[in-house]
Order: sequence, then structure tokens, then C-alpha cells
Amino acid sequence: MKFIYTATVAALAVAAASAWPQSAAPTDPQIAAIVVTANQVDIDAGKLAKSKSAATDVKEFAQRMITDHSGVNKSATELVHKLHVKPESNATSQSLQQGGEQNIAALKKLNDGAFDRAYIDHEIAYHQSVIEALDKTLIPNAQNAELKALLVKVRPAFVAHLEHAKQLQASLGKAGE
Amino acid sequence: MISFSRTGGWQLMVRVCAMALVGLLLTSGAVPATPNANAAPKTHVVTIENMRFSPDALTVQRGDRVVWINKDLFAHTATAVGKAFDSHNIEPNASWTYVARNPGEYDYVCALHPTMKARLTVL
Repeated sequence: MKFIYTATVAALAVAAASAWPQSAAPTDPQIAAIVVTANQVDIDAGKLAKSKSAATDVKEFAQRMITDHSGVNKSATELVHKLHVKPESNATSQSLQQGGEQNIAALKKLNDGAFDRAYIDHEIAYHQSVIEALDKTLIPNAQNAELKALLVKVRPAFVAHLEHAKQLQASLGKAGE
Repeated sequence: MISFSRTGGWQLMVRVCAMALVGLLLTSGAVPATPNANAAPKTHVVTIENMRFSPDALTVQRGDRVVWINKDLFAHTATAVGKAFDSHNIEPNASWTYVARNPGEYDYVCALHPTMKARLTVL
């Protein structure tokens, strides 16, 4: 069981990392679609964790992801409307969507401590890959100044979420053994 | 000549009265109800942006106001570790004002984002 769980997480981590081709130079409409999808994927995982986890701190973290990523998407959507940019689906956003659905399907099969650890492990991998994407692909390629500024503004939230998830991972590890 | 002198005397009277009145006001103000009554309370601003409190260490005088302004994209709180003060949720573009009445050193966090930490010192 432990092997299966570990393998799943590893596969998801690889999928998350490969979702961001470093050589690609996305356009602003593509960046908009990537940002909105990335946030939505984490909102969906948060909703599942909030309803399924029994641990108060994991539930609180999940609620935080729902609220914060909804906040980011609200700002992103408002900006996109203001700039008359139409988010354009692309390989990266589709891959993210797919990865998010796979994550939810895998999480649904787990319960209790195994669920909590898999959810938090994936949150760490997800936030790491988003930060990397922001730094290497999204921020450098954003053409519109306001879109670029928004990406810069959301970055610290992803860093704080990653730190928070790592703290939870450490405390779950202790509780689990 | 005489009329000029009279006018000068009248002006002097007015001036003396005015000075006496100012003196009276100053005297009444010089008897403070509290040690800080002479110094007008100041207002300090802590900006919450990019998942940080800025400044993250602030020292104020007792009676001063501290205003936390949230410029981030989601809600934050300013919550003292010992719950001496708690803003509860400050929504984006909203603010919360606290009058620092009790001296002490207060470590505070965002209750929603535990990685956000800062300190308020009240002298």
C-alpha cells in the first residue's frame, strides 16, 4: 500500500513538473489560461480535502487554498476583462487540468492519514512547480505590464502556501509514525 | 497725535487680552490627565502586501493608533499571539485600526497564514 501511494505521488510530481515546458514562450492569452487553470485545480483539490480530511489543520489549510486561490482568480479574471484578453487554452493549461483531475481521482481512493499525506505532498509539488513556472516562464514572458505585475504580486502567496504545506508535512509525518 | 495714541493703547489691550487667553489655554492644557496627553496620539500604518507585514517591527507610544491596510489579493488578520488584539479578517483593500493602550511587546501573526509574523511594541 505504501509503495502504491509513493509511486502515485512520484508520478504526479513528474506530471506537474513536465506541465511547464521551459522552452515554450506563452502569449498573454495563454498565460491567462494557465494562471486561471492552475488556481482552479488547487481550489478543486482544496474542496475535496476540506470535505474528506479528518484533521483540523489539513481542513484549515484546504480552506486557505480555496479562499486564496479564489482571490487570485478573481483578480486575474477582472484584469483579463479589463485588458480584453481572452484566455486561450494551450498544452500547458490542458496538462494542468489533466494533472488536477488525476490528482483528485487518486486522492479519492485514499482515506485518513494516507489521504492527508498524499494531499499535502501533492500541494508541495504543485506549489513548487507553479513557483518555478512563474519565475522561468510566466513572469518573463508576460507582455502586458499589468499582467506581469499581477503574477509578481501572487508569487509570495505561493511561497507562503509552500512553506505552510511543508510545516504540515512535517507534523503529519510525526503523527503518522 | 492723541487719537493715534489712544488707538495704540486699545491695540495693546487687545494684544494683552489675547495673550492672557492663550496663556490660560496653555495652562489648562499643561495639567494632563495622563502623561501622554500633551503629545497628540500618532497614527502608524502597517501595510499588508505580498504576504508580509510592513514594517514587520513597529514601536509606538501608548495611545497611538495603528492601522493595518490590506493591499493583498485575499483576507489577512493581525492577531496577537496572546490574543491581546485580533483584527479578525481584513478583506482586500480594507483596513483595521487598533488603539494601543497597553504597554508591552506583542508578537502577532496572520491567523490565516501562519508564515506571516511581526511584532508591535507599545511603550
